[in-house]
Amino acid sequence: MTDLRIDPRMDSGTTPYAGGVPNDLLRSARFRLEREAHWRQLDQLVTRAEAGGAAALSYDEVRNLAAGYRQAMNSLSVARDISLDRALVAYLESLCARAYLVAYAPQESLGGLMSRLLLRGIPQAVRRSGLPLFIGFLALVLGAFAGYRLCSSDPSWFYTFVPPGMADLRTPDASADYLRSTIYGDERHEGDGLAAFSAFLFSHNTGIAVLIFALGVFMSVPSFILTFYNGLMLGAFFAMFRQKGMGYDVFAWLSIHGVTELAAISIACAGGAGLGLAVLLPGARTRKDALRHQAHDAVKLAILAALMLVVAAFIEGFLRQLVQDPTWRLVIGWGMGVFWVGWLMLGGREGRASREPVR
Amino acid sequence: MKQPKQSNQSVSEGKDGRRLQQFIPPEGVPITLAIASLGSRLGAQILDIIFTSLFILVCAFAIVFTGGLPENAATILIILLGFLLRTPYYVLSELIWNGRTLGKRITGIRVINVDGRRLTPHQVTARNLMKEVEIFVPMGLLFTIGAQSALEAWLTVLWLLAVVIVPLANRRRQRIGDVIAGTLVVDNPRSVLLSDLALSSPAKASSQPAFEFLPEHLDIYGKYELQTLEDVLRDTTKKPNTEEIIKIVRTITRRIRFEDAVKPGQEMLFLNDFYRAQREHLESLKLFGKARENKYHEHTKTEAKKLV
Repeated sequence: MTDLRIDPRMDSGTTPYAGGVPNDLLRSARFRLEREAHWRQLDQLVTRAEAGGAAALSYDEVRNLAAGYRQAMNSLSVARDISLDRALVAYLESLCARAYLVAYAPQESLGGLMSRLLLRGIPQAVRRSGLPLFIGFLALVLGAFAGYRLCSSDPSWFYTFVPPGMADLRTPDASADYLRSTIYGDERHEGDGLAAFSAFLFSHNTGIAVLIFALGVFMSVPSFILTFYNGLMLGAFFAMFRQKGMGYDVFAWLSIHGVTELAAISIACAGGAGLGLAVLLPGARTRKDALRHQAHDAVKLAILAALMLVVAAFIEGFLRQLVQDPTWRLVIGWGMGVFWVGWLMLGGREGRASREPVR
Repeated sequence: MKQPKQSNQSVSEGKDGRRLQQFIPPEGVPITLAIASLGSRLGAQILDIIFTSLFILVCAFAIVFTGGLPENAATILIILLGFLLRTPYYVLSELIWNGRTLGKRITGIRVINVDGRRLTPHQVTARNLMKEVEIFVPMGLLFTIGAQSALEAWLTVLWLLAVVIVPLANRRRQRIGDVIAGTLVVDNPRSVLLSDLALSSPAKASSQPAFEFLPEHLDIYGKYELQTLEDVLRDTTKKPNTEEIIKIVRTITRRIRFEDAVKPGQEMLFLNDFYRAQREHLESLKLFGKARENKYHEHTKTEAKKLV
């Protein structure tokens, strides 16, 4: 039968009934009288920790919390065996659950978490996801190529690919001068219109990236289609400017933020594709397990994509208006590209042994 | 005494209709937590949306009215702020407050790891990334439903249905993000220690209980009836000597064939004495491994014999 012995450490405290527990009581009532003081002590500690986190407790109190938690767990399993007092068992259940939630709170600091993610987690996740990344970039490149070819042969395709809200006035019917002015913001277009447009573009792309990522669960296809469509629009834009003889200028205009932004979209697509691949080809695991496993890398790809989109937004909002020279635009854009590749390929390489995913 | 073997992820129906999730922390003692109702989760979500939108609004006003920034920079800044206050807000607050956002703190719910281990940063990120698809995008689509074509409107409705059906059809009320991350939303446990009825009974004052029960009196009922009686005794809204109490006493005396008449005015005393005696009896039976669930325990025994 269950041992009713009290943990000697815990019994050293003062109990109101210590030594004087009446013997004619029920076994379960005696059990409760002997330990109630400890439970109440734990209850107080847990209440304080819930309000202010474990940092609100002193060293001794944290030690008491840990010991009290284990003792309460022990009490709970004994009470379930011997007591028919439902109120008592319910109290212990909730006390143990609360103490458990305090005892198993995340223990690392936010700063440590971030630096670990940036220095090791993300680069390692990127290097593990070769195939999804290939799919993500393939979708964009194929889309851009198709959009370019179609629009080059017949400019009316442009209206099919690019929604009127996005194109603004930049359509194949616009004059070359107008188009040039949108690339090199002169005084007339520097104002509300363009800034609002680039802000819109940013939030649009963020939405697209998140959608592309999350829809990947449904077997990668929506991710692929959305990225492909983004590529189509890109290709159509490029073809339109090219026909007006501004291929180099628009390439520079797109490069300064596009290298970062389009890479972010492809990476989001790769994250989604990874999830989709886990559903399609789970291998030896069950589909749910495969999805859960793949989600570790996919989530890191999504965080990376979000980071890159924020950087792209800053470049788009500030640098692109300030830097008007196409050569400098190219240097900044592709310089950022080199920076991303360098970080992702070289970061977190110290140990060959630690190939386990960092959580 | 052996605990019945339980899987790590069993869901049972609680007494008051709440779903209970049983899970095993590393200490090995199963704990039960009540799964949060969809209502309180919706409430928490709405509160969070209100808080974040208010914050963005205040910041936007501050940025525009101080006017220190050029217009396009201010626009970008506000949009970036809106971006930071969506998924990152939920991720960071759930990391800092161990599974609670502001809204969840107010409605008293929290996120836990299904495995019984601590919540990992990965889980928090994963479940909140999916929130974008499950809540924010459908919400945005819903606002533009007037401007959509018929096909788009149908797709929006379909999307919304899928998102709503998943947690409804799910035993543990998990949304898609919860399934992927392996998390669960539960009610914050609250603990109140009620007094022990076996101690607080009036019979304690006199050393000798007013009513004597013989073993054959106590052989009728089981754990279920005892705990139902406990509920009755703990219910402070029930006053002594009401029709209901008298009826309960009459039922018990008839069922256990208790010969002595219970005098009017002594009903509560009788119930308390009976509770104490019955609990002592059942607890000692439990000690010998003969736990009884309810008053049908004898029938099940004879039926089991017949089957053998």
